[in-house]
Amino acid sequence: MFLKLIGSALIIITSGFLGLFLSKECGRRPRELRELQNLLQMFENEISFLSNTIADAFNKLSDYSTSSTRNFFKQTSLNLIKGKCCSAAEAWEAAVKENFEKTSLNKEDKEVLISFGKILGASDIEGQIKNIRLTCTQLKMQEEKAEENKKKNEGMYRNLGLLGGLALVIIIV
Amino acid sequence: MDTKEESKNLMLENKNNIMENVLKYLPVELRNLIGKIKPEFFASLEEIRLRANKPLMVENADGDWFVDQDSNITKVFTKCVQVKQEDIFRTLESMSQNSIYAFSDEIRNGFITLRGGHRVGITGRTVLENNNIKNIKDVSALNIRISREVKGCSQKIIRYILKNNQDIYNTLIISPPQCGKTTMLRDIARLLSDGIGEMQFKGVKVGVVDERSEIGACFKGIAQNNLGVRTDILDGCPKIQGMNMMLRSMSPYVIITDEIGNKGDFEAVMQVVNAGVKIITSAHGYNISELKAREEVLRLIEEKTFDRYIVLDKSDGPGTIREVLDANTMKVLED
Repeated sequence: MFLKLIGSALIIITSGFLGLFLSKECGRRPRELRELQNLLQMFENEISFLSNTIADAFNKLSDYSTSSTRNFFKQTSLNLIKGKCCSAAEAWEAAVKENFEKTSLNKEDKEVLISFGKILGASDIEGQIKNIRLTCTQLKMQEEKAEENKKKNEGMYRNLGLLGGLALVIIIV
Repeated sequence: MDTKEESKNLMLENKNNIMENVLKYLPVELRNLIGKIKPEFFASLEEIRLRANKPLMVENADGDWFVDQDSNITKVFTKCVQVKQEDIFRTLESMSQNSIYAFSDEIRNGFITLRGGHRVGITGRTVLENNNIKNIKDVSALNIRISREVKGCSQKIIRYILKNNQDIYNTLIISPPQCGKTTMLRDIARLLSDGIGEMQFKGVKVGVVDERSEIGACFKGIAQNNLGVRTDILDGCPKIQGMNMMLRSMSPYVIITDEIGNKGDFEAVMQVVNAGVKIITSAHGYNISELKAREEVLRLIEEKTFDRYIVLDKSDGPGTIREVLDANTMKVLED
């Protein structure tokens, strides 16, 4: 009897935590999208005010952030410095593809990022700034969709966790 | 034996400098081609010229040459390697570190300075906005000028510039093009700034107004040539504003600038002199009489701004001293 009690408690606690974890995960994507926009804004400052090169600017940026999205910038900077990629666009695309899995961004987000890379370093300063602003606008839209998703799902996951655990206990025990 | 080793090492060092700071920006085929040119030629290499759809050319003190497919230097352009416009684009992109927007000012002025002080001239079709050059698009040629310091080249003339162990004369260096005016100014700046032990001259604060980025050849604001420990450089700044800023902010003892003779240079130099600061500068010309035909310089001569006139030519190589005159007595001090 006592064993059954401990067992059921364990099941409820585990699935409760699972629910909480999934619920938190919902919040990761909008946060990362916000952080991306921040990093892009910082990039705009670096190039318009300080006229820094892409490798230097990205390197600086990635030191300022703790988000997993900073890897895109860090990797691009490394790719350029090591001379592996001929153009900034190639360096960025390679960096995005390599570090994408570590983030919680989805396929649409990835497309926005890759199209940002196409104009990176390939135009004058006005062109660069327009590119940055356009990408930020697109990311903002994605962020809003992600927020909606989060609101819908985080409560759901939390409750599902607890209730699921309870259901399991009832069925098994 | 020793000097042969030394000069061989110097040659190698020179070649490595050029490989690292210049050739690495070129597309692989061109890089390898130039890299394999015989070392003796490399030692005196002055210019590398990339022209779209024209043969690759290099230049040294003996003139200009074509480069053939086996990296031989020749005067005949039949078997020679053609440069494609694509090569030029790639080179420029690489030189601007894939961030062309960050170099738009330099491109507008027609040149980019690389690390090491080497200067890349750019030409092509200009894009105008309100009669000013906004951009150079469709770049058709690059002229890579290899920079070389000649330390000690001003040893022979420095004694005419020093008045005593604390004071110097305002000096004007006159010479035709390619005779070493700028190299001299560079070396003079270094000697005055570091101090000259043998002449008991303590170093003084030197301000360099480097309008065309030739004296210091700054890369990211840091001079790629050694201009001395007490030297401050204003890079790429027009002379009048530059003199003004230098006088107000860096309290120099002497200001050094290159190529006076343009409109406004009289004012610029008078500003310095009136502030009690010394000036050393250069002007184009074969002799002093020729200078009098240029209004700005004539006014300076009439004002007795300078105490010393030094005329250079290349009769014995660049930097040969033809004449040194005391401006006040017009007496020849050396011939």
